Amino acid sequence: MVALGAALVVFLFWTGSFLALRWAGDALHPPPETAPSRVPFLGGRGPETHAWSRFHVRYYAMALVFLAFDMEMVFMYPWAVVFLEEGLTAGFEMLMFISILVLGILYGWREGAFRWA
Amino acid sequence: MGLRSWAAGVASGAPTPAFVVAGAGGRWAAEELFLEPRVAPTLSPRAADALIVVGYLTEGLMPAVMLAHDQIPPPRLAFQWLPDGAPDDPLAAMLPGVRVVEGGGLVEVIRDAHAGLLAGRGGGHEDAWPDVDPAPWRGIGPYGQGGKGMTGGVPYGRPLTGRADDRDGLKLDRLDVRVGPLFPAFPPGLELIVGLQGDVAQEVSVGQNPFEGALEDDVFRRALREAVPIAELEMARARSHLRWLAGALRVAGLPSLGRRVLSLAVRAKPADADRVSRLGRPLARGRGLRWLAGGVGALREDLGGPVGRAAGHVSDARSGVDEYRALGFEPVTHEGGDALARWRQRVAEAEQSLRLADAAGDATVGPPDVVEGPRGPLGAGPLLELLPDVLVGMEWGDLVTTVVSLDLDLEEAAVGAGVRA
Amino acid sequence: MRVLAGVLATVAAMGIGVYLAAALDALAGRVVGRGRLAVGETLALPARRGLGLLLRPRARTERPDAEAWALAPAALAGLAAVGLASIPLAPGLSVADVSSGIVLFGAAMALVMVAVFLQGWAPNSVHPMIAGYRFVAQALSYEMPLALVLIGAALPAESLSVGAIVESQAHLWNAIRQPLGMPLFLIAVAGLAFWGPLALPEGEDLVGGTSAEVSGAARLTWKVARLMVLVAGAAMTAAVFLGGWHGPWLPGPAWSILKTLAVLALLVWARHRLARVPIERFVWVSWVVLIPLALLDVFLAGAQALWAAP
Repeated sequence: MVALGAALVVFLFWTGSFLALRWAGDALHPPPETAPSRVPFLGGRGPETHAWSRFHVRYYAMALVFLAFDMEMVFMYPWAVVFLEEGLTAGFEMLMFISILVLGILYGWREGAFRWA
Repeated sequence: MGLRSWAAGVASGAPTPAFVVAGAGGRWAAEELFLEPRVAPTLSPRAADALIVVGYLTEGLMPAVMLAHDQIPPPRLAFQWLPDGAPDDPLAAMLPGVRVVEGGGLVEVIRDAHAGLLAGRGGGHEDAWPDVDPAPWRGIGPYGQGGKGMTGGVPYGRPLTGRADDRDGLKLDRLDVRVGPLFPAFPPGLELIVGLQGDVAQEVSVGQNPFEGALEDDVFRRALREAVPIAELEMARARSHLRWLAGALRVAGLPSLGRRVLSLAVRAKPADADRVSRLGRPLARGRGLRWLAGGVGALREDLGGPVGRAAGHVSDARSGVDEYRALGFEPVTHEGGDALARWRQRVAEAEQSLRLADAAGDATVGPPDVVEGPRGPLGAGPLLELLPDVLVGMEWGDLVTTVVSLDLDLEEAAVGAGVRA
Repeated sequence: MRVLAGVLATVAAMGIGVYLAAALDALAGRVVGRGRLAVGETLALPARRGLGLLLRPRARTERPDAEAWALAPAALAGLAAVGLASIPLAPGLSVADVSSGIVLFGAAMALVMVAVFLQGWAPNSVHPMIAGYRFVAQALSYEMPLALVLIGAALPAESLSVGAIVESQAHLWNAIRQPLGMPLFLIAVAGLAFWGPLALPEGEDLVGGTSAEVSGAARLTWKVARLMVLVAGAAMTAAVFLGGWHGPWLPGPAWSILKTLAVLALLVWARHRLARVPIERFVWVSWVVLIPLALLDVFLAGAQALWAAP
């Protein structure tokens, strides 16, 4: 537990110090306020609309396959710890589990989930 | 302040980050700034401390250049680099605080000014465009909400974009962006108006060509009128292809290799054919470029020039010329017409041109009917009109790869359009 | 008190690691570009560039997401430091060598996706936004090889702690025992730090992507945070595949550092020699080739561990 607490302190320290660096930079060199200097860079004229929009995330099918594999990964973590004790049976059980998920990849591949343009 | 000037002294040892704009007649000089170790051309004006305009500004470029100038965080520097003894550029005065440098000595002026900028003296704060909100705040609350109208105020004033149909049935937002004349990945001057849904371009059209077509007299144009040595013609062709290759490598994520090819392009000699083949063959055949450009942007028609020859069409204006046939010239072709084939085509043609220049000696070629320039027969140029059809439906990265692989030159296209012969 | 020492240790490790990575990158650029190789000048270049950035103001856009834009580089740095903290330098010499070290590392590296996406989303500008979404696709694709290969390395160690994994390599490195593991992990680390051929959110075709609208101290913090992720990934590679602190003559920590530097040099070389991979190609290759290979690696590692176990 102490170690995890140390990890948290490390995270907070670095996040805090980078935020402090940014704040100090703003104090020493204030960012420009004029309208032309704030136009997003497109290479020519400015944009006509906000960039924020309902972006068409074409890889959503791949993200669903990823969710399935993520859950499988969670199961593999404790399996890795007890594998050597349990021996070959544990290996076969995980192999069965994985092969069902690999069928998911094959289906995604056939349906073109991994390409989108 | 002692600390500030010490820090500025240390920091001014690094290359000056600058946003380089290639004006009319300045494309190749702007490219050569990549070789200068004391100047670091950046991808975006935000990363830069200075704006460097190489060549002359045109009316079409001015709005974009002024905006790029303002997007450099102030205090900023602005320079214009003109050839020695050239007349002044009347449009340059619209950039506040611009320093015009003629001929050599540009880098020294930049370094001095940059050292001063970092130490806190010098550098302008004035914008080129007036400080007017393009989309005034119309609401009441801190996010622009509230106020009159059906939905109250509008956040910041710029509208949110609307939905449009898409190929897979999902009706989601479409962003119409003008990726302008100063987009560093594109050839200078190319403006594309792209309707983006996600990262796929659903609609592409080409914007107005900002150049007006006053091209300097290079060896290809001279060859139309008088006899020129074959060696000079082929060396110019090889240099053009190698410079294109350097730029294409930069966009492909290999800036150091691009720098190496660029220094080879600048000091190329006919004896360098072997070096080009040693450098170019692994590049063109290696796995790395195959995943970037393989199967992307296929153009199979006979469009002339390296683009047509990369699709397998044997059409080269030089094959009809006796002096070339005497040197054993045969057009090089590749299969497929995709971006990778175009890469390989130009590398192979650069090597072929160097070998021809080596073998030609003092031979000259009289003015033929059609001169084969590095982009195809002079005067032709249908590539710009074809862009919308080719680029529709492409993912953004592939779109940029295709545009780069076509080796467009907007100044030549402006001349070809009949603005000035 | 120990925690404070641990925090200072991450500062020292990251400070040296990031600077050396940046210096190696500058050096490699000069070598590959056949520029003038003034070694002393090149090694001082990152410091000069960093100071030059600190002396410049931060850019603003019209309607950014200010909190997200401030938080993104800071969170990226924090996550990278947590990742590094889970790796011990020598037996007993670690900040957070928890019993589930690779889970901690995996969790920190998974949140990198959020930090980079926020950096792309926050400025409300088209190119960084596309870069952010692209990185999400990239992250979802390298995530599985990253985690699976670490699980494979945990099998012979019978433990998820990084220290135990290093201990299990006392007589044979995992790079030799599980040959599929290290190449896959290196690809995943390149994707994680969006480095070299997988620098998709920073690509030139998006004019710098996530870096297109940042300037000044914000730009410096973003670059440093990205290098911190690279250093954390390289340190993990050295610990899990190259035997960590095991080695003759030199003390343990020296070996850890040398192996990390070797991995960093390899990654820096890859950046200057390999072109950027388009996102669709990477997603396809990752799901159809890399993930099956990673699964194969897990089972081969399991078979090898069972066969070698007494």
